[in-house]
Amino acid sequence: MSDSDRARETDGRSDTTGIDEADSAEVEGEAEADVAREPDRKAESERDAITVNEEKDDARKIVTGEARYTADYHDRFPDLAHGKVVRSDIAHGYVESVDTSAAEAMDGVRAVITPFDDVVPDKLYSSSGQSYPEPSPWDLNVLREHVRFVGDPVAAVAAEDPETADRAARKIEIEYRELDAVFDPEEALAEDAPQLFETDDVENKQSGADYARNLESHFDGELGDVDAAFETAEAATDRHVVQTEWETPYQSHCVPEPHTTIAYTDEDERHTFITATQVPFHTRRQIAHLFDVPIRDVRVKKPRIGAGFGSKQEMAIEPIAFALHLAADRPVKLEMSRQEEFTALRFRHPMRMRMKTAVTDEGDIEAMDLYTLSNSGAYGTHGMTVANNVGTKPLPLYPRVPNVRFSGDVVHTNLPMGAAMRGYGAPQGHFAVEAHMDEVARRLDFDPIEFRLQNAVREGDIDRSVAILKDGDRFTREIRSCGIRECVERGKEAIGYDELEQPDEDHRERGVGMALIAQGSGVAGKELGAAQVQMNEDGSFHLQVGGVDTGTGADTMFSQITAEVLGCTPEDVVVIAADTDLTPFDYGAYASSTTYISGRAVKKAAEDAKERLLEWGSKLLGESPEALDTGDGSVYSERTGNRVSLEEIGYEATYGDDEREHILGDGNHSTDESPPPYGAQFVDVTVDTETGEYELNKLAFAADCGVAINPALVEGQIEGGEHMSLEYATSGDLTFDDDGNPEVLGFRQYGMPRTTDHPEMETVLVETHEPTGPFGAKSIAELPTNGVPPALSNAIRDAVGVRLTELPFTADDVKTALDDRSGDRK
Amino acid sequence: MEIELELNGVERTVEASKSDSLLDVLRRNGYTGAKRGCDTGACGFCTVRVDGEPVKSCVKPVTTVQGAAVETIEGLGTQDDLHPVQQAFVDNTALQCGFCIPGMIMRSTALLEENPAPTEQEVREALSDNLCRCTGYKKIVAAVLDAAEQMDDGTAVATDGGPTLNSDSGTTAEIECLRTDCGCMEGDQ
Repeated sequence: MSDSDRARETDGRSDTTGIDEADSAEVEGEAEADVAREPDRKAESERDAITVNEEKDDARKIVTGEARYTADYHDRFPDLAHGKVVRSDIAHGYVESVDTSAAEAMDGVRAVITPFDDVVPDKLYSSSGQSYPEPSPWDLNVLREHVRFVGDPVAAVAAEDPETADRAARKIEIEYRELDAVFDPEEALAEDAPQLFETDDVENKQSGADYARNLESHFDGELGDVDAAFETAEAATDRHVVQTEWETPYQSHCVPEPHTTIAYTDEDERHTFITATQVPFHTRRQIAHLFDVPIRDVRVKKPRIGAGFGSKQEMAIEPIAFALHLAADRPVKLEMSRQEEFTALRFRHPMRMRMKTAVTDEGDIEAMDLYTLSNSGAYGTHGMTVANNVGTKPLPLYPRVPNVRFSGDVVHTNLPMGAAMRGYGAPQGHFAVEAHMDEVARRLDFDPIEFRLQNAVREGDIDRSVAILKDGDRFTREIRSCGIRECVERGKEAIGYDELEQPDEDHRERGVGMALIAQGSGVAGKELGAAQVQMNEDGSFHLQVGGVDTGTGADTMFSQITAEVLGCTPEDVVVIAADTDLTPFDYGAYASSTTYISGRAVKKAAEDAKERLLEWGSKLLGESPEALDTGDGSVYSERTGNRVSLEEIGYEATYGDDEREHILGDGNHSTDESPPPYGAQFVDVTVDTETGEYELNKLAFAADCGVAINPALVEGQIEGGEHMSLEYATSGDLTFDDDGNPEVLGFRQYGMPRTTDHPEMETVLVETHEPTGPFGAKSIAELPTNGVPPALSNAIRDAVGVRLTELPFTADDVKTALDDRSGDRK
Repeated sequence: MEIELELNGVERTVEASKSDSLLDVLRRNGYTGAKRGCDTGACGFCTVRVDGEPVKSCVKPVTTVQGAAVETIEGLGTQDDLHPVQQAFVDNTALQCGFCIPGMIMRSTALLEENPAPTEQEVREALSDNLCRCTGYKKIVAAVLDAAEQMDDGTAVATDGGPTLNSDSGTTAEIECLRTDCGCMEGDQ
């Protein structure tokens, strides 16, 4: 790969500054033990199965069309019924009556369900695929009598074929008692605003909730004394205070495979779901609770899935599919239409943010104050936690700032619900923080990059801002790996930062912008991954792992980690993943946890099996286990050069005369750690000052994700993340009319970038070693979704001197800003 | 009603109703490589070829393929014997979730038959109706350019004597590919 050249750091901590002893002592003891247990820094020459571009394990079945996604399993169910959901066409009101008689009278209709049916649980739940109890309010019913947005599910049909289901759904008559609706989060907070929830409409309320004001959550946290710092700065002549405001829109996941579920009960009376999910184990628990069946009687199987990006970190349609299945007494497939994906499922939360900093003449940041107002839409899934991440992801870019405040309000409106989406609040937060920092630098005449590097995170920093919303120091973290400076250097080279040529035409101006980026690796203190390795006689292995491959290549990464430990090839590892009957537990694929958490569980399982391999090797070679290691498909002795193949061990352990053993290993991983991967996003833009049109000449992204287990897959994550980020900056938005009706119904109205919309992209991997990660790895999946909006805003500012603050940026926005500026000057 | 068509080189008669799309009929008959992504012809995940032309099968009334030759991803290569375009997608890691890939590959094979040596811009334009959410398109475009190069090399071999003369594994797929002149056989050598 031409741009996968990686810089490898040696043992030196190039970024390290002196660590404050008192600070480091406050870091959790477990974390330090974690580091001590991790002697797995490998020089490049010692690596066999990691940092190689192992072929993605499902690549061949994907290119031949043999990969099976949920809907492709339909042929296994001869009596399959097809579901269709009937959705509210008003923004707010009560369902007075549902007339299902015409639908039920149709030939081929197997079931019709409404909120009033016994088969539909009369229970509140959260659809968020999170730990238990979910840090999201329980405010949903499976079908809704009280509808709160255009698209709320009211009834559902199952029929012998999709066409009959569609026709029957259209024959269902719903009468509503309409209520006033509110669509703007600031208006929703007002005293006289329509109220979406009565207090007893919600259980498991989140912190700061005040449903009389449509407030799902309010939160705030502070380090130091922010008000005092701003007061001092405002009074001083050598201090500056800058405040900026930012706004972001709804964004659709545009998930390739629409949400799809097949629900059935098998011959053992076990309720089984083949479903497009990122969270099989959370879904199993949630279905069991909601329908009051034992967890052991629910099985959730994830086949190949057409990506998730957070939209499938949700039990979004499984309950409706299951209720239809119970009512129809036969397997039911429920497959969302693209229009439902764009109007009724899940989205990135729109937000308005305010950022304020106090900075000295020397360019030191003395105080940061970030506020976000998040539009949660009609329900609260991931409402508070996404808004939390607006601050707790980007603020740790500057962990040495002594005074920091972060607060937010999460507000309900009668619009579709925000939820988890790749980046999880960090794209919004990075837009505010990194465009703000650039603006500060330009107003105060600092170099925008030098200003940020002066304040930016270094190895050895103690980061409290990540835990600013938490009590105590449990989640304060030490930064043990940080390649952010090398990311900036390599990114500058890639974009040609120092040799930018201006266009010949007077009305075309070129500029470059940069944004620093950080994310996390899993949810600190709220993750669990587990795995088991079983040896086969022929020296191959079965790996059972709860971790969920959403298309990223996680299963391949698991096989590489296993192979690196056991000394076999990745092809010798059969990965069985994400089936609640067959694999150990895992929280699922979200929060960039799969490599770091699930991958570490896999590594531990492999290490556990390796111990047994060495025991058997010891028996067969007559040397002590301590003298042995695994490699090249064998157990060998460095000292004597003797070796015994894994196959010989496999047969001997299984069929030996003296004693026998199935060689197994298991691994669990949970931790309070969540080390940030870092990145630098660069954008090169040319702006036409006459029309406001702008053209992206190039994107460059340099990433520090620790050790990249599979560099080609890592590049794929970066390039795909930038694609979403490009859309967020330039073209993606959902709009609604005055009655809350969606105006974007499909790809044709939505600005998802096509091949021809993408500028040249250059990807750079900067290797660091994260001592708490598997073989030094951190996460990568979400990091690259954060950068283009701030970097493009900064690039346009660099090119033509105007600041764009509302996403997405249109040519009209640029032209208006240019006109306003020339108006100011007159 | 019954639809007679040539499906991946084999004459078939399939049951259909007049309102069915080609995608409906393909998927009902086990050809699930073509994916349902939007049902409005806006995403390209269902792209197959009808008489050689790339077509979005979700908006192609099945009644209009009566007597036509339909090619789907299932008729291209096998996992052990990939078509050069499929091979290039694997080699370039030009896939993630894979949902768009069968359509992307069918579109690409059509492009490369019409234009065996496209520029990057020509590849981007040819694929602009096929969406991908995972890759940022970079590796997909690289894969198609790589496939063009591989197939071009293969053609040179073919003009030197042709692969059929020394091929001892004349599978149906290979015969089918030669018949439609897609160049895959040559590229496999």
